[in-house]
Amino acid sequence: MKAATDNIYLPKVAILDRVVDEIHEVKTFYWHFEDAEEQRKFRQFRPGQFAQVSLFGVGEFPLSLPPSPTEPETFFTARQVGSCTAALHALKPGDQFAVRGPYGNGFPMESYYGRNLVFVAGGIGLIPLRSCIIYALAHRERYQRIQIFLGARTPCDLMYRADLRQWEQSAGTECHLTVDRAADGWTGNVGVVGSLFQKPGVRMAVDNTVAFVCGPPVMFRFVIKDLVALGLPETAIVSTLERYMKCGVGKCGHCCIGVAYVCVDGPVFTYEQLKKLGEDI
Amino acid sequence: MKARIVDHAGVLRIVDLFRQQGYQVIAPVRGRGRDTYYDGVTDENRERIEIHLPNPQYPPKRYVFPHIERFLNARTAGGQLEIEPAYYGPKRVLFGIRSCDVAGIWHLDRFFLGRDFRDPYYASRREHLLLVNVVCTDPEQDIADNCFCVCTDTGPAAREHFDLQLMDLHNGEFMVVAGTPAGEALFADPVFRKCTAAQVERRRALLSEVRRQFKTMTSWFAATVRYVSQGRILDQTWEEIGNRCLECGGCTYVCPACTCFTVTDRQVGPNEIERVRIWDSCALGGFTRMAGGHNPRRAVHDRRNRRFFRKLAHYFIQRELSMACVGCGRCAAVCHGDVGMPSVVEMIRRATSETEKLEPV
Repeated sequence: MKAATDNIYLPKVAILDRVVDEIHEVKTFYWHFEDAEEQRKFRQFRPGQFAQVSLFGVGEFPLSLPPSPTEPETFFTARQVGSCTAALHALKPGDQFAVRGPYGNGFPMESYYGRNLVFVAGGIGLIPLRSCIIYALAHRERYQRIQIFLGARTPCDLMYRADLRQWEQSAGTECHLTVDRAADGWTGNVGVVGSLFQKPGVRMAVDNTVAFVCGPPVMFRFVIKDLVALGLPETAIVSTLERYMKCGVGKCGHCCIGVAYVCVDGPVFTYEQLKKLGEDI
Repeated sequence: MKARIVDHAGVLRIVDLFRQQGYQVIAPVRGRGRDTYYDGVTDENRERIEIHLPNPQYPPKRYVFPHIERFLNARTAGGQLEIEPAYYGPKRVLFGIRSCDVAGIWHLDRFFLGRDFRDPYYASRREHLLLVNVVCTDPEQDIADNCFCVCTDTGPAAREHFDLQLMDLHNGEFMVVAGTPAGEALFADPVFRKCTAAQVERRRALLSEVRRQFKTMTSWFAATVRYVSQGRILDQTWEEIGNRCLECGGCTYVCPACTCFTVTDRQVGPNEIERVRIWDSCALGGFTRMAGGHNPRRAVHDRRNRRFFRKLAHYFIQRELSMACVGCGRCAAVCHGDVGMPSVVEMIRRATSETEKLEPV
């Protein structure tokens, strides 16, 4: 009999520490593994990886990891959309659930050393990109320009407010925000996230640049079009996909698109790869 | 590989030898009409074991990858969560499985055990499992109208991946070939006689005769693999195939090489949850639907395309070093829309021959 630790489907007990409200129906859940050794192993994750979260009796589902490995805390951010996320939202500090991972390829942040980084996120698409942004800022000297473009439906839908303030204030980082519909007190840009690229005063990095794009499918399509029009090569546009997944380890078959299993070959793909896979984003 | 000869009574002796060694023997038996199924061999039904009978529609896949399989139990006792995995790995012999199903289990071996992540539940069931293959030699009983193993190169006689192989020489003798040391160990029993060159020649001649008895000659199979791999099949052809799919999932459930599953939790006690995996099917609409309702594969032909791409694309054949279609013809037998593998190959052949006419290469 194989040791239980070799079981790829066996989640480990995790304890919820605290819950923070982000925006409407989106919360951040800080947690740690009950077993310190599991915690240490899990903390080897890379930006862009994900974990399988178990809420026994409801189910198991994939969640991306918004923290950067350079941060001390481990957390998930999730919108309440289905039964599993509803059960997660119902948890209280001290409650136990289970996690296994980290899975997926993640963003190859080391291979981007010396390049400009452009982050484009729409809505909760910021969740997986947050990890890369924090990681890049923690290794600021290894990258050239860092530009962050964020879009949200309304000013109330802007998440990670504390991080946003820091990014807006930190020298050497350009952070541009936009909303689809302004509300009282909003003095920033109104329009889709792609409209920021053309704004006066914004000088888009194009040469020697990597663009990280994540957001709803419709935003993704338009942003890609804009970036390609600006002259970014398709290999320099990277994104992370979300798919229905049951195993996270390339077995259950749900996330298979084209020749790739999103869970093991992805979730991070370049736009060039995505085009070849031939499925909706 | 070593070969031996046994007579008809010797075949049952092989079953008895395994049972004496503590193996549970699973063998195909007849139900009513042409219906056949795999069943555990007991003293009572031992006599019902037959060598020549139609291949059961429900493939022996379920002995390594069951329809429903327990993963783990999770108990909450006083707020503390305890997770305990459940493994099942009996000593078992699959007796009388056809060459296509041997290839099917080999494909599952490659898929579940061959890559970075090893499936512990599959490994546990597979570890003490022996495969006794029977070569299809009776064109009336063994070879169904839809069989096309001669095209997928998996039959009628498997060349490897079995522990023992039995072949009826149709003269009262059966040739037994050992594929592994575990199979060969059985040859110590006096029921096995030495095999002569004439008997080996008889086997060869019989096999070459049997190969001509197949009714479905999907000889375009290899070409289809090439066309699918190169993405040269028109969307219109996939749509035609998709239009005939009734989305019942039957083809995936009878397929010896389909691997997709879903995982679900069920309550088994006041504070206890059992997590099980259940076969899933890419034919079903909700297969890729995510929380919130977004479904990247919407149209049915998207999904049909996926199934045949996954089975036939060269990339996956290389990735697993084995093909996910073994030529058993079960999908053709159960499909109400007639879009089982042989028909799909034929539809692709027809569509391609028309486009090729327009664009001669």
